[in-house]
Amino acid sequence: MNARTGWFGIGMALAGVLVSAYTLWMVFFWVPTEVSMGIVQRIFYIHVPSAWVAFLAFGIVAVSSAVYLWLGDERADIAALSAAEGGIIFTTIVLITGPLWGKIAWNAYWTGEPRLTLTLVLGFIYVGYLMVRNATDTPERGKRFAAVVGIVGALFIPLIHMSVYWFRGLHPDPVILNPEGPTADPEIQTTLYVGLLGFTLLFLGLMALRYSVERAHRTLELREAA
Amino acid sequence: MSAQDHDRVADDRAGPGWAAVVMAVAAKDLRIEFRTRARTLTMAGFVVMVGLLFFFSVDRALVRPQDIASGLTWITLILAGLIGVGRTFEIEKADGAMTGLLLTPAPRDAIYLGKVLANFILVYAIVLLTTAVFGLFFQLDYSNHPGALLLLLAAGTLGFVALATLFGALTAETTLGESLLPILLFPLLVPMVIYGAAASSRLLLGRPLSEVEGQVRMLAAFALLAVSVGAVLFGQIVEE
Repeated sequence: MNARTGWFGIGMALAGVLVSAYTLWMVFFWVPTEVSMGIVQRIFYIHVPSAWVAFLAFGIVAVSSAVYLWLGDERADIAALSAAEGGIIFTTIVLITGPLWGKIAWNAYWTGEPRLTLTLVLGFIYVGYLMVRNATDTPERGKRFAAVVGIVGALFIPLIHMSVYWFRGLHPDPVILNPEGPTADPEIQTTLYVGLLGFTLLFLGLMALRYSVERAHRTLELREAA
Repeated sequence: MSAQDHDRVADDRAGPGWAAVVMAVAAKDLRIEFRTRARTLTMAGFVVMVGLLFFFSVDRALVRPQDIASGLTWITLILAGLIGVGRTFEIEKADGAMTGLLLTPAPRDAIYLGKVLANFILVYAIVLLTTAVFGLFFQLDYSNHPGALLLLLAAGTLGFVALATLFGALTAETTLGESLLPILLFPLLVPMVIYGAAASSRLLLGRPLSEVEGQVRMLAAFALLAVSVGAVLFGQIVEE
């Protein structure tokens, strides 16, 4: 069962790498340069899919944490851990690509832009989540504490989101998810969708791989203890 | 035994009611504090000294201290609150006091709310001292909306104390101890500082109450969310 999750993860991750590589080809050779923002807009195809994955991962952490507290199922805890570790990588990508774009578009790396601020806060909740997990005397308690941190973080994210938006807004308006339908060029949309697919596959693949490694690790520990 | 089982046991034996447990825990915490005055004195000394350092950190030729005082008040609330709330569960660890408390059939959420109530009273007293000290140092004029300001600070303090008590219980049981508390707590305080500081600066400037209504509502929502989340999840943290 566990080996199958491992192979599934390897397959997904490989598919993710291939689609992401194809996205890179599209970004550099296929998609036309966006008219108003120019060449720097091409970072968008890395930035937006990473942000999507970062928040998807956090959703998985929150739901798995709740399931773990509710049912005490070890597998839910492993899923939450795997999603958190993957999520922190993509959060880092968002926090690198965002300011790089901002430096050219707004002439400042950091402007307190709401979505970027929200991602930074999210990143710190992940850091707390992973720190708590390894800072207890018994692993069982660490899992429970981490789940509490994951759930509380997810419940406060909407409020943090509203407050940082209220504080300041400089980000370009959404070009895909807005009420009047997408306003971006078809080629730009296609590249973004391929990027979203590639990054999601890559994340789910890495998560499945991490999941199977962690399960094997815990099974081994149980056997050694017995 | 899970938290629900404890509740059932409490019902069966018709012991003290839920509200009585809240009050008893709060009274116990306040009594301990009243006898030693350790947390009150450290927090009070802290806010006076921080106020003095803030006073020296501002170049009065360039910045009007009134303009930044309300933001500094909220930061001081957080830092002084950390000193006070962080100690709550350290005290309980001595002589296995927390274990004794958990062995009673008291519902977990009532224990949590009792601790929140006691911490709220302590931290809010320090917040009042902070406003007095900052008012003196920075020559602030509170006469425009004193009631609204006190209410605003009460909502912020309640939200802060609710989250800090929950995470204080958690970090007290970790190997990193209180040093972990800011990392868990500060990200969640972003809405409190944004709405709280904005509303209090406007009230200090004598702007109409209608201008800050939205922020006050969001701050109340923050406090309510913090208290409910804490009451529900506290049992998961203290469970052996």
